Amino acid sequence: MIRETRKIKSQLAIIGTGLAGLAAGIFATEQGIKTTQVGHTGSVTYTTGYLDLFGSLSGQQYSDPWQGVDELKKEYPNHPLCQIDREEINVAMSLFVEKLTEMGVGYLKPGSKNLDALLPSGVCKPTISMPLTMAAGIRAKKTNASTLIIDFIGLQGFSGVEFVANLKPSWPELSNKRLQFPGMESGQQLFPEVMARSLEVPENRRKLAELIKPLINGFEYLGLPAILGIHLPDEVHREMEGLLGIKVFEIPTMPPSVAGIRLREIFEQRFPAQLITLIPQHKVEKLELTDGGARLFFKDPFGDVEIESQAVILATGRFLSGGLAAGQQSIRESLLNIPVSQPKGRDDWYSEKYFAPEGHGINRAGVEVDDNFRPLDEDGRPLSNRLFAIGTVLANQDWVRQRCGAAISISTAYQAVKRVAGLILDSTIDSPGKSGKISSPAR
Amino acid sequence: MKTNSPAGTKTLTTKVLIIGGGVTGTGVMRDLALRNISSILIDQHDLNSGASGSNHGLLHSGGRYAAKDRDTAIECRVEGEILKRVASNCIDPCGGMFVAVDGDDLDFASQFPDHCQAAGISCTPLSPSQAMEREPSLTKKIVAAYEVADATIDPFRLTLESVNHAMELTDSFYMPHTRVEAFEIGDGEIRAALCRDGRSGEQIRIEAEEVVNAAGAWAMRVARLAGCNNVNLLYSKGTLIISNSRMSSGVINRLRPPGDGDILVPGGTVSLLGTTSATIENPDRITPTVDEVDRILAEGTDMVPSLADARFIRAFAGVRPLLMASGHGGDGREASRGFALFDHKEQNLRNFATVTGGKLTTFRLMAERVGDLIAKRLGSSAPCKTAVVPLPSGPAICWTEPGFSARDWYARQDPTDRILCECEMVSESSIDSIINEAPGSEADMSVKAISLRSRVGKGSCQGAFCSIRVTSYLYDKGIYSSEAGLAHLRDFVKERFKGVRPVLWGAHVAQMELAEALHCDLMGLDLK
Amino acid sequence: MGPQHFIRMAMLGMNQELSTTPWVWTCTQCKRCLYVCPMGIDVSILVGAARGGWPDDKKPQGIVRSCVAQGLNSSTSAMGLTSEDFIEITEDLLSEIKAEDPRFSELKVPIDKKNAHFVVNQNSREPGIEAEEMGPLWKIFDYVGADWSYTSKGWAAENFCMFTGNDAAWKNMVEQRVDAMNELGAKVWINTECGHSLYALWKGIERFGLEANFQPGNLISYYAQWIREGKLPVNSDWNSMALKFTLQDPCQLVRKSSGDPAADDLRFVAEKLVGAENFIDMQPCRSANYCCGGGGGFLQAGMKEKRRAYGRRKFDQIAATRASYVLTPCHNCHSQIEDIGDHFGGSYHVVHFWTLICLSLGILGREERRYLGPELEKIGL
Repeated sequence: MIRETRKIKSQLAIIGTGLAGLAAGIFATEQGIKTTQVGHTGSVTYTTGYLDLFGSLSGQQYSDPWQGVDELKKEYPNHPLCQIDREEINVAMSLFVEKLTEMGVGYLKPGSKNLDALLPSGVCKPTISMPLTMAAGIRAKKTNASTLIIDFIGLQGFSGVEFVANLKPSWPELSNKRLQFPGMESGQQLFPEVMARSLEVPENRRKLAELIKPLINGFEYLGLPAILGIHLPDEVHREMEGLLGIKVFEIPTMPPSVAGIRLREIFEQRFPAQLITLIPQHKVEKLELTDGGARLFFKDPFGDVEIESQAVILATGRFLSGGLAAGQQSIRESLLNIPVSQPKGRDDWYSEKYFAPEGHGINRAGVEVDDNFRPLDEDGRPLSNRLFAIGTVLANQDWVRQRCGAAISISTAYQAVKRVAGLILDSTIDSPGKSGKISSPAR
Repeated sequence: MKTNSPAGTKTLTTKVLIIGGGVTGTGVMRDLALRNISSILIDQHDLNSGASGSNHGLLHSGGRYAAKDRDTAIECRVEGEILKRVASNCIDPCGGMFVAVDGDDLDFASQFPDHCQAAGISCTPLSPSQAMEREPSLTKKIVAAYEVADATIDPFRLTLESVNHAMELTDSFYMPHTRVEAFEIGDGEIRAALCRDGRSGEQIRIEAEEVVNAAGAWAMRVARLAGCNNVNLLYSKGTLIISNSRMSSGVINRLRPPGDGDILVPGGTVSLLGTTSATIENPDRITPTVDEVDRILAEGTDMVPSLADARFIRAFAGVRPLLMASGHGGDGREASRGFALFDHKEQNLRNFATVTGGKLTTFRLMAERVGDLIAKRLGSSAPCKTAVVPLPSGPAICWTEPGFSARDWYARQDPTDRILCECEMVSESSIDSIINEAPGSEADMSVKAISLRSRVGKGSCQGAFCSIRVTSYLYDKGIYSSEAGLAHLRDFVKERFKGVRPVLWGAHVAQMELAEALHCDLMGLDLK
Repeated sequence: MGPQHFIRMAMLGMNQELSTTPWVWTCTQCKRCLYVCPMGIDVSILVGAARGGWPDDKKPQGIVRSCVAQGLNSSTSAMGLTSEDFIEITEDLLSEIKAEDPRFSELKVPIDKKNAHFVVNQNSREPGIEAEEMGPLWKIFDYVGADWSYTSKGWAAENFCMFTGNDAAWKNMVEQRVDAMNELGAKVWINTECGHSLYALWKGIERFGLEANFQPGNLISYYAQWIREGKLPVNSDWNSMALKFTLQDPCQLVRKSSGDPAADDLRFVAEKLVGAENFIDMQPCRSANYCCGGGGGFLQAGMKEKRRAYGRRKFDQIAATRASYVLTPCHNCHSQIEDIGDHFGGSYHVVHFWTLICLSLGILGREERRYLGPELEKIGL
């Protein structure tokens, strides 16, 4: 059968649709850069929805994230957050949150202190921003407000009893009730995504409110698993509060989480209307660096696609997203075989204790970059003037344990896009790189 | 049966106290019950937490010991035949073979049939192509192959069935997390064992007419608590790895003097490869290491090359209690795999016995010998029946069999019976069955205890998702009502990690990344 | 049961259960689970294999009978229409159109014309039960001056054999059609607004390693191209009532075939036709869209209750848009969405693109309005 390779030309190619890639997409749009973005289901659907700045280091939690970053500078001076000015990090986080809010997924404006974010286990963690739909929980806990937690028959991994049992010592005015979700009374396994989509329909919201109403007498707050709609969560949230006459907050659930799907789908929904050609759920298979930029190759069901671009941002994530790959003895970067800084041998990848406060060595493995976020080769020189790496693929950080994933992703995206803009939009800088051709290994 | 002593310590009385919930201790419990003698079985952790739960699950044909230890080889053969009759629930008669590959000692290989014949072990020569036909994953470099009657046995189901049967026959019962701290001794007998509940910290006094020490690798310590210094063990650590899929249809043994990665044993949907042997000082808290895993794998790959690309979901290590003959050197592989029964007469104790050493295949015989001794001391003439009475199964003890819960769930066709563990398809109803009916079920049942009695957490996600779901479910069921439930979850994932750590490479690293995101980012288990 | 259970059952070696579970007939093989699977597991392939293992007399008879019928005649029609029937039906309809509308007095319906630019497959549903529905597409071809032809042998587009899991039969269907099309020497193959026909043919050519001397195309993208080129000067002036429209992305066309570029074209055409302000997307949509629940043979497999339960989510999605029309270029989507609308009490209508294109151009005949609501009955006559 005759097939043509489809070709796409753009100024910037972003590889990855996780938080870093999506932030880069937003910032590129702001800069007026014509962008093509390709990525597969990333860890974004595993997120709680909380956006962390910096919360924890070697077992110590910080209510002031910047105090934590100061400590971080002593222990891990090469941490990505130690490479960027505080002001720049703040600007990037605020801009990202502002854009998300504009797109319809409202977030709290980041302040200077960490917030006490509720987890479904009843444990709290420090974070800098959260969806507006979750925000009321902070105050409810802080004031020991009388609060009812509702969970649902069939929704696994979210137990009101568990949440209450673990928070009761610090939040005595907490209790819980279990309901059947309207329209899903068969008792079978429920998924938050399905429940959230159901609540996009006004009629279903009214039915749920009718069920909850008789239970909330005397309560100030109502806590629900994160199911308040996917595309218009703020509207669904507002309407539920209106129908119930009580403050409502969401609590994250197990993945695939609604908070993560909201982010993914808001981009899938909004990007096509902007300067971005978004190619979701596809993986770039091959990347070639050229003098004038790069060529990217991938397949979709209908055939081969080639993207030609003047600059590339790698936001390919770690092992789960496929940016890094672990062999039996060493770790490598997947697309270009960029050198990965890593512990000496497999025995040093993981500490013997799962919850070792210092985290695991493998989590700090990753791609090393220069001040301009260009990945470095074995000799410590940038591979190309037109290749940038951002997000969790970067070395010297442990985003899970340090509660700093969002800040790394968003602020490195912001920095890299600034450099790309300089390269592409200012023709005086736009000279061909001297790096020559580098190809990823053929598969 | 329960009385309270003035000090507030709970006192229990029974005919026989059995210390150690491995295959031997539970075997003794059932042996005695079949003689209508009731007992209390205690374990410092839970069933099979020592060597009984960390082995290949191989029911030896005896071939492996034919060359060096004919007595053990014969015992294996005889016991294997008995168990295939009476414990067929727990056994997969998958058969096995011994193969020598290019570079192995051909003399050793050529003597194998004679050694087997001397021990009465059936052994049929196979041509390399016949061997390959039976096991297509074998290396092409086979130089000799023999078919033997190996089988596999599920040691978890075995202990659960034994305890269950004993409890059905008599008023015997089993207490997990109960550790002996001291014995009250007087007049040449143990009057009571002073124990502590490892979870509540509560002290428990158990009065028994007879005390059996079947504590496996810990038998030497327990004997010393009773002032008996004649039990001398060598601790030999053995590490194995579990692959994500079944790599062979039957058991594959390397035909050579025992080495690290020379037995590959199927276990339902997975395979187990091992075993290393290293002498250690302390049987407590041993963990498999990266180095051991790499050695096992390197050797196993000589036999089955596809192991090099297999995904391994976990490693585990156990301690073989090897009997130290006087003047014996320090190598575990050279030590006897035989067992010994100490009646402690010479230590001036009338009602104490220690049984240790031995192996999974010969556990029944060990229990029989203990049973004979105890019955005689108690004046019972009832004979041992374990070689003739089949082990009955029960509703709550089938869940350790791979695929059982999945088939059960499918057969129910009940949409409200929700799956909690996706990998192994363990549904809410099977968890209910375990909580309500499984031997050793407790009021405050941990995820770990459930996992031991089911396939929860044994699939490719290694408990990343199901541990959280099961914990929530246990809260919902009212099993947990405080922060202790979350502590159980934390313990479980910590424990699982020890086994996963040395096999973390390839796709498993991605899985681990997800697990850590779930356990830390979502659940905050590292924060509290 | 769901795809995650099916795949784990396979991992656990439950072959007996896998080869007998009727669940495989309720999976629409829409590949949405693959689309979001971080591990890239394609359950639909396993489902196809499991279906293939069923004895024919145990498979849902609606699908099996259609597949058998397709094999009986060189027309490959599931409705038993021969090549002669097809020619006769098209000739009858052609003369009716010519008589009704003088603007189309020169209208041609080429069959077996050599070296045309397009070779077109036709789903049997139209010639079989609603011949007049073929008219709009012919008119569109005429309007843009497309050089096209049907084939007489293997003219039919549908492929129920793919749904039965019978690879040999699927291949046989594709071979017959490809042979007929190769003979004509057209550059591009397209078919009418039908999702599975597109996928079954190009995927079949690939899967069975067949030789084809043409390039696959999709009709929607040609609509978009013709609009961009000014050849189809459609607009939304007719929609003065500001009727709201939403769009069902057929899985077979978008996620399983041309991907988001096709989804972009669908939206481009839809917005031109109804006015951007009157177009409301379902969420999620494009390649992430949910299957309507009629695909993969589900619509023809009996099991009404299960199919409707599946369609409930689609119904909710449509309800959330509050649109009064659903546009979709797929027969299965069309029928399923109409059915769940009736069943769950929706008040929307379901229409093909060709209907609205002709409506907008003022060339939609009286008989070509069966899927329009009363408010559009008289518009543009």
